[in-house]
Amino acid sequence: MQTLSAVFAYTFKEHVRRKAWLSSALFGLVLLGGALIVSALGADERARLMLDLGLAAIEAIALVSVVYLTVNLILAEIESRAIHLILSHPVRRADYLLGRFLGTVASVALGMAVMALMHAALLGLYGWWEPLRYLAALGCMLGKTAVMGALSLLLSLALTSEAAAMAFAVFLWTLGHFSSEMRFLADRSGSSFLKTALVAFSHAAPDFAHFNYRDFWHAPAPPSAWLAWAGLYALAYTAACLALSVQLFEQKEF
Amino acid sequence: MRGRWLAAAAALLALALFSGSRMRRLHEPRFPRLAELRTGPFAFQDTALAAAGFRAPAADLAWIQLLQYAAGGVPELPDRPGHPYEHLAELSLRVTRLDPSFHRAALFGAGILAWFRGIERPDEAAELLHEGMRRSPEEPLYALYLAAIAFKKQGDTDRMAALLESSFDLPQTPSTMKAILANLRQSRGEYRQALALWQRILENDRDRSEHARAKIKIAELKRLLAQQKR
Repeated sequence: MQTLSAVFAYTFKEHVRRKAWLSSALFGLVLLGGALIVSALGADERARLMLDLGLAAIEAIALVSVVYLTVNLILAEIESRAIHLILSHPVRRADYLLGRFLGTVASVALGMAVMALMHAALLGLYGWWEPLRYLAALGCMLGKTAVMGALSLLLSLALTSEAAAMAFAVFLWTLGHFSSEMRFLADRSGSSFLKTALVAFSHAAPDFAHFNYRDFWHAPAPPSAWLAWAGLYALAYTAACLALSVQLFEQKEF
Repeated sequence: MRGRWLAAAAALLALALFSGSRMRRLHEPRFPRLAELRTGPFAFQDTALAAAGFRAPAADLAWIQLLQYAAGGVPELPDRPGHPYEHLAELSLRVTRLDPSFHRAALFGAGILAWFRGIERPDEAAELLHEGMRRSPEEPLYALYLAAIAFKKQGDTDRMAALLESSFDLPQTPSTMKAILANLRQSRGEYRQALALWQRILENDRDRSEHARAKIKIAELKRLLAQQKR
């Protein structure tokens, strides 16, 4: 546990020094510029546009950051051979991997929190204020980010190529938003093979379509129990990917 | 021991599948299928954004394009001469199919189609409202506008105007619809009522897009009322 927290703290500091704050600053500029344009174009729906586009921008930046950071997390250290030095110390591979992952997700979450504060401040200027629902949407976005981070880490260890891992991560992101469509196609399909394949794919890919609180914000709100199950889903899916990553990492010979 | 992480992964995946099925049972997003999205010059933009999980922002962009079209047209969808607002229903449907909770788009399109002078295509407006009502039955304005269209078709403009005015202060009523209603009162020679409606528009911060027009109309109506007194 001590090793895990030490690796976590080291990773968190490393990312905060390098990239997380840069993405937040970049987002701030994009957000302020975007808000000015949108407020002029959205007419009656100014607040709605600012809310949707701001949350989408936070998620997009978090997604790009987490995929890029986690894909390079271990691969860069393997390439620079720094991993030999680290693993020559009494560090369990599982602790090392989990510490690195958690530190990365925490730094991305910090970036998201900074962006969200700027976004909420802008919304407040336009008279919009729904803090609980905003927090629920942010929680779901963080869940998606964690799931994508764990998937990217798993892909980077399985494919050992940064480009391939990133391409597959983006593919899985899109597939995750198709889960409802896949189930619909499976229902309509006459072929039992296709039906089974589609159902299997829809379950194996992360179910982002049902997790996208930000997208169905304006529709009637889901019950509060939904949020608990969604949180458990994100945790379990992330943990499953991490367990597979640890399995792969332990089998690797350096 | 080598397989313990694999066993843990299997158990966690089973937990994820179980919690995922509970999550889906508690709430199913009411988005139309991707196959139901409107085809046309914006199909790629809509599909790409919806597939990447950005349906609400896609609907927002479609709303901006709808407003641009209503304000003078978009180059991708030119109107044939003598066919004003030919693509209005199509562009309004595009927004509501991306995000059915974007009620304002359907109400805005239906308002122009049914009550704009020189347009008056209430059947198209009714179709738009029917689809909106089917996808979002919780929105009361769809039914109200349909009833108002029915009164209009019967020629009962008094009841139509009264019905539309009953929704005047609801937050989801489009500013354009309020302006249409005020103009309707003016065209019937009811200057005092028209003036009161424009003043309400000017006082409401949500109707900022109509404030400039409201100031002009208020001055015009005050002049007309003064002339009437003389």
